[in-house]
Amino acid sequence: MRSTWPAVTFFAAAALGPIVVRDAFLLDGLILILLWGATAASWNVAGGYAGQVSLGHAAFFGLGAYSAALLGTRWAVSPWIGLLVGAGLATGFGFILGFLSNRLRGPYFVLATIAFSQVLLIVASRWRGFTSGSEGIPVPFRPGFWTLGIADKRAWVYLVLVLAALLYLVQLYLERSRRGYQLAAVREDEDAALSLGVPARRLKVAAIAASAALTAACGTLWAQYVGFVDPYYVFSVDLSVRFCLAAILGGIGTPLGPFLGAALITILETSLRARFGGIGAGLVGIYLIIYGVVLIVTMRFAPQGLLPWIAEHRRRRAPLGTTA
Amino acid sequence: MDAIPQLLASTILLGGIYALIAVGLTLIFGVMRVVNFAHGEFLMLGMYLAFWAFTLLGMDPYVTLVLGLPVIFGGGWLSYRLVMRPVIHASHNVQIFTTVGLSIALQAVALVLWSADSQFVRTGYYAVVVRFLGVALNLAQIAAFAVAVLFTAALFAFMRWSYTGKVMRATAQDRHAAALMGIDTGRVFALTWAVGITCVGVAGVVLAPIYPVYPSIGLQFVLIAYVAVVLGGLGDMFGALIASLVVAGVEVGGSYVIGTAWKEVLYLLLFITILVIRPAGLFGQRGAEVIGT
Amino acid sequence: MRHVKWAVVVGLVALAVGALQAQQLSGEYKIGILEPLTGPLAAEGKRHLEGYEIVRDLINERGGVMGKKLVFAVGDAVDPTVAASEATRLATREGVKIITGTFSSTLCGAASEAASRQNVIYWETSCVDPRFTRRGLRNVFRTEIDGTGFGWYNVEFIAKHLSHRLGKKPNELRVAFLSEDSSYGQSVTESARQRAKQEFGMQEVAAEYYTFTTNDLTPVILKLKNANPDVLHHIARNQDAILFWRQAREQNFQVKAVVHAGATGYGSPDFGKAFGNDGNGPFALLEPGPGVIIDKFRPEGQRIERAFRDAVKAKTGSDIPAGGHQLAGGGLWLLKLVLDAAKTDDLDKFRAAVMAMDMPVGSSINGWGVKFDETGQNSNARVQHYMLQWQGGQLVTVWPEEFTTNRAKWIPLGPWDQRK
Repeated sequence: MRSTWPAVTFFAAAALGPIVVRDAFLLDGLILILLWGATAASWNVAGGYAGQVSLGHAAFFGLGAYSAALLGTRWAVSPWIGLLVGAGLATGFGFILGFLSNRLRGPYFVLATIAFSQVLLIVASRWRGFTSGSEGIPVPFRPGFWTLGIADKRAWVYLVLVLAALLYLVQLYLERSRRGYQLAAVREDEDAALSLGVPARRLKVAAIAASAALTAACGTLWAQYVGFVDPYYVFSVDLSVRFCLAAILGGIGTPLGPFLGAALITILETSLRARFGGIGAGLVGIYLIIYGVVLIVTMRFAPQGLLPWIAEHRRRRAPLGTTA
Repeated sequence: MDAIPQLLASTILLGGIYALIAVGLTLIFGVMRVVNFAHGEFLMLGMYLAFWAFTLLGMDPYVTLVLGLPVIFGGGWLSYRLVMRPVIHASHNVQIFTTVGLSIALQAVALVLWSADSQFVRTGYYAVVVRFLGVALNLAQIAAFAVAVLFTAALFAFMRWSYTGKVMRATAQDRHAAALMGIDTGRVFALTWAVGITCVGVAGVVLAPIYPVYPSIGLQFVLIAYVAVVLGGLGDMFGALIASLVVAGVEVGGSYVIGTAWKEVLYLLLFITILVIRPAGLFGQRGAEVIGT
Repeated sequence: MRHVKWAVVVGLVALAVGALQAQQLSGEYKIGILEPLTGPLAAEGKRHLEGYEIVRDLINERGGVMGKKLVFAVGDAVDPTVAASEATRLATREGVKIITGTFSSTLCGAASEAASRQNVIYWETSCVDPRFTRRGLRNVFRTEIDGTGFGWYNVEFIAKHLSHRLGKKPNELRVAFLSEDSSYGQSVTESARQRAKQEFGMQEVAAEYYTFTTNDLTPVILKLKNANPDVLHHIARNQDAILFWRQAREQNFQVKAVVHAGATGYGSPDFGKAFGNDGNGPFALLEPGPGVIIDKFRPEGQRIERAFRDAVKAKTGSDIPAGGHQLAGGGLWLLKLVLDAAKTDDLDKFRAAVMAMDMPVGSSINGWGVKFDETGQNSNARVQHYMLQWQGGQLVTVWPEEFTTNRAKWIPLGPWDQRK
């Protein structure tokens, strides 16, 4: 059984962060790592554990962001209720996608998810009367916990830490429970799993719906934290790619992988931006080249992501008779 | 009512452009079972090839089309050797993310080298219009349509009657059996990829006198080409051509009747519906969509 | 030995000069600059940054701000998330009290929200989202007009300049509104529609949005032909403006005038590069371009505008500043004026100084004046904008006529091949 101590260390370190660090910028980085990690983990529930790779998860993220922002601006409803509404809507759409996943495999499912997120993008950016169209929604800042108007970054760290830890536990459940094993069986060979009496279809649909709802929750928190919802950002294919990128880089189908991947990407991105910030260098976008190449190289040499790759190398190096 | 002939003409010309992009995509999809997310970036590179040949060497895009063929084919081959070959036997997901990585990297390279500005190849004949029966047709678009039909027909014939084409189809149907029959599937995949990239590169060259080029232009064509590929049925050249016309018709007609703002929703819904009802495409065999695993 | 002596003398002189300058400007004052410097918006973001740098040097040659040398801490705002992060970094890490930036509407919302949570003044020099200054944030100011301002100017031009030249009263004019559907396109178009209808009673014969990545605009053009407008109000980005113009010509779409606003589409150099003389005719609302008469500015405005143009030429080699230079530079110069008046960056006093500013048109870079309203928005009438027209493959200033040597041509536009 794989040990959980790296995860405990990771989350403990994150919890200590606000006590040790006062610098709002570093705390902001920590919040983003936890938030993107949680989103990647939500994707991982469907993409990693159920094997249903989606490139349209930004749709759910956007649903969460929009639900809370719209309810908040139009009817002054608390973002916590917005979070629930967003998660509910996402669950509904997740069921539809899950239904599709039973008919479509591999590339077809991927294409369907992209089309799905594009439809939501068009609705959000054209339905001016309701969503404010392309102009997006500025999220009003109303101080208080119930309205999620929190200026203190330390409070935000703990808020997203709770979400991140929850997602870690969900993934741990999928890795170790009976349901999780069944899901793994479906992922590896659906027909074989079916013949053994595993309710493959229901499991897949449930995993996708859960993944959608969790992604929406991340979207709500993101919108409240950043304070502005732009349809072309929250529904973009780029954002969807970013979610899977973190999970894949860190370790697809592992509970800690998405967080590791998100940490790596956020740190890489921030430092590359600082290094090649384009000021006079004429190297605008060079970090995107590095992104692309890193993705290709990861797929080539460590397609399961870094965590499994490290684990494998440690096993190989360990002398006979010891356990890694 | 007077608009109908012009709308039909626009549909046919636009469909031709989509078809040219879709045939390469459907070939790669059909034989290799790879969804090439970098397809649009090769379109973009083809357009830049034509643009730079025109700007630096004063070369007409249609001269570039002929002279550039080996360059494009070579580029396709090279990208296979460097990027695709190592993952050709890996899972779908690994392949998908490899092409996504390729797409991000190529787009960023174009952004660094050539900036985000829109560049346009203004040939002496860019505004030449053929008019008959009250319909106006752009000459460059007619040329693009002709090239599309020519390429589709050539590919169709190649796949049907040439030995190599038969080998490629055999590999498409069952790569393991093909390998057992002594087919070098590695070479088949390399050839398929290079031919598919050549198609889309050529599409880029003939689009250069019609549309301005900028680093992210690939996406706006390739999303629609995907719709056409799925609609036409996996690996079906002829189906892709017809489906491209259908999609263009939906786009042009929808744009005229219900408004431009919502036309994308129309073909995306068409896409999802087809995926749900007939995943193998309008003309494909049922069940073809699951043999890919 | 002689050489050594000379070296010593030169060294001493250099030291003395350095000391003198240090005396003039005691210490540094740092502000944050936030622009997209990587990613798809980078080209324009870098132009804005260049504009800030040019005017920063002008400011430091003219006494700095509050007697201190103005220096920058630069942040890179790629997308909304990063914009917010970088605003936080500038406020906390760099300790700036004022952030200025961010030309894109998708970035300024998130960035200013983050800035206000750190109690930092947000001095916006472009981003046109009208709601930017309407969120009740006291720390937010904008020197440029917003999207509604662009619509306001365009309708002003159509009603007061075009309509009688087309032989019609404004309420007889048939106007079609066409726009790409980004945040920018929607806010300009909607405000133009509203003003055209309510204030002038113009007849709206069509209103259509499209995505700028649309591959075929022929159906739209056919609809426009049926609607038969006198004036087409078209807000476009670059590639769609090029596609529309080519296809409009193919379909022989004859409209009497095309009016656009902003530095994209018909306002972008890309349009001229694509069409040369074939692009003659359309109007674009911009900052002052070729033909503007600087002598018509007020004396202080003339001085700074000339210095600004010389500095732009020294840096870029171009006689005409780009739109990004003008927006960023013009906005930063106004910030200097406010800081000199307020003598502090304390929000209440700073705000009071902003509200007290009252300068007529022609007082500053771009011929701008200043009068901020309570929301922190500079007024439409003071931030003078200019209508430019494509003539001879170049954008030249044609309106308001008292500020320019050029005159608008081709009203009505006439046949496609006769606009040379």
